[in-house]
Amino acid sequence: MQSIKKKLSENILDKLSMDFLRNQVLKNAYGNDDTFIAKRDPRILLVWYVFFALAPWFVDDLPFLLGCFVLVAVTTVMAKVAPLVLVLFCLGVFSQTGYLFVVSLIFGGNAQTVVPLLVLTLKVASVSLASITVFSGLDPDRLSNGLMWFGCPEKLSFSISYAYRMLPMLMEEFQNVLLSYRLRGNAPEHDTLAGKVRYLIYQIQVIIHSFYPLMLNTAKRSRTTVEALEIKGYRYAAVNKEVKKMKLATLKVTYDDLLFLAVSFLWMAVVIFAGTLV
Amino acid sequence: MTKRENATQSQKLMVFVLTMSLYGLATLFTELIPSIQVGIVEFSVEYFLFIPLVLAMLFDPMSAALGAATGELVFSEIMLGQFGGLGELEKFITVTIGVYIAGRMVRDPRNRKMVGIAAISGVIIQQVLGMIVDILKVQFAVQDFEAVPGLPQSVFATEGFACLNDVVFSGILFCMLPTLFLVPRLYGKIEPLIGMRPRTKETALGAVNAKVVLGSLVAFAVAVCAEMLAESGMSLIDWEADWAGSGTALAAGMIVAAVVAVIVLAVMKKRAESSKATQGV
Repeated sequence: MQSIKKKLSENILDKLSMDFLRNQVLKNAYGNDDTFIAKRDPRILLVWYVFFALAPWFVDDLPFLLGCFVLVAVTTVMAKVAPLVLVLFCLGVFSQTGYLFVVSLIFGGNAQTVVPLLVLTLKVASVSLASITVFSGLDPDRLSNGLMWFGCPEKLSFSISYAYRMLPMLMEEFQNVLLSYRLRGNAPEHDTLAGKVRYLIYQIQVIIHSFYPLMLNTAKRSRTTVEALEIKGYRYAAVNKEVKKMKLATLKVTYDDLLFLAVSFLWMAVVIFAGTLV
Repeated sequence: MTKRENATQSQKLMVFVLTMSLYGLATLFTELIPSIQVGIVEFSVEYFLFIPLVLAMLFDPMSAALGAATGELVFSEIMLGQFGGLGELEKFITVTIGVYIAGRMVRDPRNRKMVGIAAISGVIIQQVLGMIVDILKVQFAVQDFEAVPGLPQSVFATEGFACLNDVVFSGILFCMLPTLFLVPRLYGKIEPLIGMRPRTKETALGAVNAKVVLGSLVAFAVAVCAEMLAESGMSLIDWEADWAGSGTALAAGMIVAAVVAVIVLAVMKKRAESSKATQGV
């Protein structure tokens, strides 16, 4: 029993190491730009996403929802999403509705309560899988270009591109600061329960303390970034129509994109047809 | 020197970038670290709101608030592919309102009492607004909400409890205490790095006034309206279906149209490829 417990906690700690998280995130962001989904035109994918993000909320027809779910599940497989993201998705969906179900049982609910909750789960699952397909399957640069084409604020697309470039550096810096605090600090013993609580508090304290140098460093870095942007005339370029046109000239809708839309449409039409027959 | 604190555009952008990257990084971790549930009390490090709170108290509150909301959206939602559409709008707006009001409340960052009060009020505002929207969301998503036995009470209970839990546990431990620790330490040190003068009583933007409250209420109404759209959309679709008469015929027509579209596109693609091939030769 003791050894299983130890192994389990080691295993979980292993999974939670900073390097593992960094790898998973980077893999998710950059790892799969050769899939069918990643090659699609971002504008087409966003239009596709808008449908699958909104339609499930409005419809209560079970065949329709199932059809949506199957389609977005297939596209998620096609996008080769990192496993961590899928695990998080499952945890999120089932913990939310499962928890709600248990509590509704306490308040005198019965098996009948399950049906609307299942419908709710199906809706949430379809919408989140659609978003995983689009936002995880697509290259960040292409995604931000697509958003820009639809007139999203320049700040948002700037933030997306910036985030993807800065994230590895920021994570490394955070890790370094954290490690230096750990090296200099004296962690309390954590054999007993009280010791474990103290150890947890100590860990949280270290994390909070490490934000102090991190804030100062990042302040310096963001000043450098903004000044570099100013030199390049960023704030004027951001609102200039000609610059935007040049930036978006690489976007091109191909026959494959339209085929993707048409096949999705066909599938939904078949589902609606089946729904009316039942 | 009694000029009001008016940062230049580039300083505002600096604050935006700073808050975005720091808060984004923090929310990314919290998204990845599973929370521990002991009974129904949830112990999670969910809340790193102290980062934007600290920065909003030291710098321009609006840039910090927008930066925090954008950071969360970009780093933890879009990068991990967890973008939830309408729901994110609500989170975006509630975080912005909470952080902005907390930042406006502090006139002198050296006044510890005020910093603490502002930090906890920011958390309470954000959590309560989030709770209201969450309850409305479930009400709209589930048809005949009132008719399902036990569901309404359970939703109110879970949401209310989660809100209380977040305010008491995460709010005090992970927001108020770190803010109290960091604000006095960073005061006077971090501002020169951005090229600004530290905030004092004279240069503060002024206390929270009616305009701020009104603006927040309007923004919150937008968030609620986004959820309300769901209900009106539902009735719209029903109405259209009635008008269309036979649903089966309509669906069959849609299938035919879709098949034709797929075939035409496939043929066009083939042709384009073959013409390219002949041109290439």
